[in-house]
This record gives sequence, structure tokens and C-alpha cells, in this order.
Amino acid sequence: MSTLARAAFSAFRVSMRLRVVSPWAYLNWLVFPMIFAAVGLFVLSRPGAPASHLTYGVLGGGLIGYWSVAYLDGGNGIQDERWNGTLEQIFAVPTPLVVILLGKVAGSLLFGILSFIPTVALAYFGFHALLPHVDALRFAISLGVLSFTFFAIALTLTPLFALWRWAFQMLNGFELGVYVLCGFMFPVAILAPWAQLIAGALAPTWATRALYASTTTEGAHDYSTWWFAAIAVSVAYLVASYFLYRLVEKHARVSGDLALA
Amino acid sequence: MGSMKSAAIEARALRKTYVTTRGIIRRSRVERTALRGVDLAIEPGELFGLLGPNGAGKTTMVKIFTTLLLPSSGSANILGLDAVNNPWAVRKRIGFVFGGERGLYWRLSGLDNLRYFADLYRIPPHISRKRIAELLDRLGLAGRERDKVEHYSRGMKQRLHLARGLLNDPEVLFLDEPTIGLDPVGARELRLIVRELADSGTTIFLTTHYMFEADAICDRIAVIKNGSIVAEGTPSSIKGVVENQGVVEFEVVGMPADRLAGLRGLPGVTSVVVSEHELAQVVTVQCARPADVMTQLGMLFDGLSLSRVSSREPTLEDAYVQLIGESS
Repeated sequence: MSTLARAAFSAFRVSMRLRVVSPWAYLNWLVFPMIFAAVGLFVLSRPGAPASHLTYGVLGGGLIGYWSVAYLDGGNGIQDERWNGTLEQIFAVPTPLVVILLGKVAGSLLFGILSFIPTVALAYFGFHALLPHVDALRFAISLGVLSFTFFAIALTLTPLFALWRWAFQMLNGFELGVYVLCGFMFPVAILAPWAQLIAGALAPTWATRALYASTTTEGAHDYSTWWFAAIAVSVAYLVASYFLYRLVEKHARVSGDLALA
Repeated sequence: MGSMKSAAIEARALRKTYVTTRGIIRRSRVERTALRGVDLAIEPGELFGLLGPNGAGKTTMVKIFTTLLLPSSGSANILGLDAVNNPWAVRKRIGFVFGGERGLYWRLSGLDNLRYFADLYRIPPHISRKRIAELLDRLGLAGRERDKVEHYSRGMKQRLHLARGLLNDPEVLFLDEPTIGLDPVGARELRLIVRELADSGTTIFLTTHYMFEADAICDRIAVIKNGSIVAEGTPSSIKGVVENQGVVEFEVVGMPADRLAGLRGLPGVTSVVVSEHELAQVVTVQCARPADVMTQLGMLFDGLSLSRVSSREPTLEDAYVQLIGESS
């Protein structure tokens, strides 16, 4: 294993260990998704509701939890590093910041995907709701593509938390916006046309569409287009992130904002 | 100043200005200059101390040398490498320790902290395992390495900081107030370790508030005030600033401002520092002729309770106070 790969793996391992002992992490992957899932399932499982809607109840809470952990844990982690006084320490090592954050984001993804366990369990045991027509292969690929989109967004935006303390507050709003715009709990098609335009620029929108399509026989099933769109937009984020990291590394050294004081 | 070519740490015309904003609605730009054209050269293997009051620019200088900050102008070189434009090469060859309890993962064990940073320093595992074991042993942490850092004493945390700073066997080590908050025994142990490191060839750049610390272990020191170096040399040469002076110290209860002004106005008095001690004030007077000042005290403080009047030779702290020009 190269020293860079080992550094990324070490960052992943440490981020997982810190999450395991953090009560906040359990709120994000366990409690909040359960609340969203319970509300969604309650509304969408009423008698007469189309079966396709029920899939939003079964998967929606898990998607929200997954996204929250994948996206916000990066920011939380950076804020914690700042409070602990370790942000400067990890910045001044011979490993590029992007490699350390890559490990941390990978940890977020692994922890975030756990959100599906309580929410799907709640759907099954609490509401007797299942995904009736799952295309397992396409479901798995769509989930993989979705994970890649979350990874790309988190890796791109996390350095902003390192640079600007206010970014955390601002980007909290983005977390909520993605719930709505990417169709985690309901189809994007019911949004206003202008909102659908914004949704199209968000990579998870396409992956989520593919994911839900793989659980039902209704509607269009243009997987290859959706997967390609999700991956292409994510790659665009990653290209942008290359410049963002260079900006962060320079600006942080100009402003000295990595320290708390 | 030594030869520029062989310097382990070198700064030339180093200047740093922080730009911040003030206000919420009407934002205004505020500039604060932390370093004002500092020139410095530290030889390999030297233990160099930088002294100065809070906000003088000590930490800013350390952060520029450790590649955490960019200077506004000037150059900073470590082992001949440009710390401004070539930070990656510099980071591999230096270590740094910032004072205080922060900067560690408290919920992880000491060993996990060291393993993590060893990986971030890109040290191959077969080397890092051996190195960590050596450091734990050398710094008195062996046997407690699997305890969470939150259960460590402050002294242990500081030794863990030092272990982290030494993981990559740095040629140059920066210590920013490493003994701050430590008890006297812990601070003395840490100073011994630092001295040993310097004796084994590591170049050390130490910032501290404690004059006796600099006096005891540093080969050479500089005093920084408002971002400028105001004195540089060996501890004994710095003491030379107050060579022809003495120090009178006494305790008094209730010090009227007019009497203090009168004391400052006495011929030969160069500095008066008042510090609180329980209900009394301890007054330290630097002066050219201590005997003259002592004879004047009776008249100047007539009606007040004077105690513990004494005269002594000046210390590095007295020289520092004179250089910094702090008087209260």
C-alpha cells in the first residue's frame, strides 16, 4: 500500500472510530432518518395510495439519513477538528488535505448507508411495506452511482468548511434543499419547472431517479441516461474541487483561519 | 547573526499583515501587522528561543516556518527549502508542537493518535512502529499508551504532543510555548527532553513567556516586540542590556498612583513593574543605583506599609522587561 493510500485509510479508520463514540453520529444515521421515514410511511401508506408512492416511504428516510451523514458529517468533522485544534495539525503534514478528506468522506459514506437499516426495518415491521418489484442488479448499480454522487459533493464542499466557519451554516440549507430537489421523498416531476432545472444540476437527482425506477415497474426506465448524467455531473464537481482545494490550501495559509483563535 | 548559507532556519524581511473585516452591516477592512520585516538566522543544532509578550508575533512566525501561514512579503527558509513555495518538502523534515491541551484526539488513545499522525507523515509502518515505541518509552508514556487521551494529565498530553512532533524524526523542531500550563516538575522534565534533543543535533525553535526557561536551555535568544526583533544574542549578552543596573524589590499595601509616578521619576530608574501578591503589590524597580533608590523609598512611601525591601542582581527577565518597555 502506498503511503498516500495508507494515509487515506488511516483517516477513514480514525473518522469511523470517532463516529462510533459520538452520540451525534447516532442521531444522524439512526434517529433522524427514522423520524423522516415514519412520517413518510404514514403519509404514503394510506389506503388508495399508488404502490409506487410507497417506495418513497420505504427508501426516503434512508436516503435522507444517508445524504445527511455523507454530506454533513464532513462539515461536522472539520468543525470538530477546528475545535480540537487538530485542523492545523492535519493541514501541516506531508499528506495533501484532499487525501485526508477522501478517507473521512469514505467513512461518512459507510456510516451513512447504515441509515437504510433502521428505516427499511421500520417500513417492514411497522408498516408492512416492502419494495415489491426490485430489480436487484439495477438497484445495486443505482445505489453505487448515488454513493458516488454523494462522495463527489461531499469531497468538493468539505474544504469550504475548513476555510470559512460560516460555510457550515450556509451549507446546512443546502442539505435540506437536496432532500426536496433531488426527489428523496417524492418525484422531482411534481416540482415547479424552475426547480426541476436546479434539480438537474444536482447529480443525486439522476441517481435517485434510477434507484426508485429499479423498485417499480411503472414509468420510464432509462437507466443508462440517468447513470451517465449522475456520473458526468459528479465528475464536473470533482474537476471543480481540484481548483477549490488549491484555493483552500492557499487561502487558509493567507488568512490563518484554520485555528480557532 | 550566523552564516546565511548554512542556516537551518532563516527569515529575511519577513512581514505578515492579517486582513480582517469588522461590522455586520457596514463592513470595514481592518489590517493588523504581526511581523514587520524580521531577519533571523538559526544555525543547525542550535536551540533558539524567541521571547515576547502576547501578540508580539511569536506564533505567527512559527506558523510561517511550519508552512501554516504565508507571509505578506519576505522569505522563510528551512534547511535551505522555501517554506513559502515549497511547503511539501519542508513538512517532511520538520516537527512542531503547539502549547496547550488542544491538538489531540481526546477520544482516541495516545497510541492511536501517534499511529494516525505517523500515517499522515507517510512513515512506513515498519519504521513507525519502532519509532512510536521509542518515543513512548523516551517520553514516559509507555504503559499508558492505550488509555484515552482524555484520561491523561496535562503533562502527559504535552509529552504526547512532543511525541507527535518527533514522529518523523525532524531535523528542525518548532515548539510554541510547550510548557505553558504545566506544573513545575512537568515543565522541568520537558525542558530536559528539549535540551537533550538539541544536544543530539536537532535544531529547535522555541517560543516562551518564561525567561528562566530561555535562560536555562537556549543557546541563543531573540526578543520580539510589536512584530520586530528588538534584541538578539546569547542569554548572557541579552542580560548585558541591564549590566550596569540593579533591581530593588519591595512589597507595599495600597499603591497610590502619585507615589508610583514619583518612583518612576527618580534619577536612574529605568523600569517599574507592579504585580499583585495577595493583598499587597510587589514593586520591581530597575535602576542604575539601587542604594540611592532604597534610601529614597522611606520618604516616597511615607505613611505606607513597606515590607521585604531587597536588592538583587538583574536577571534575564529584567532585561526582557527593559527591552519590551512594559511598565505598569
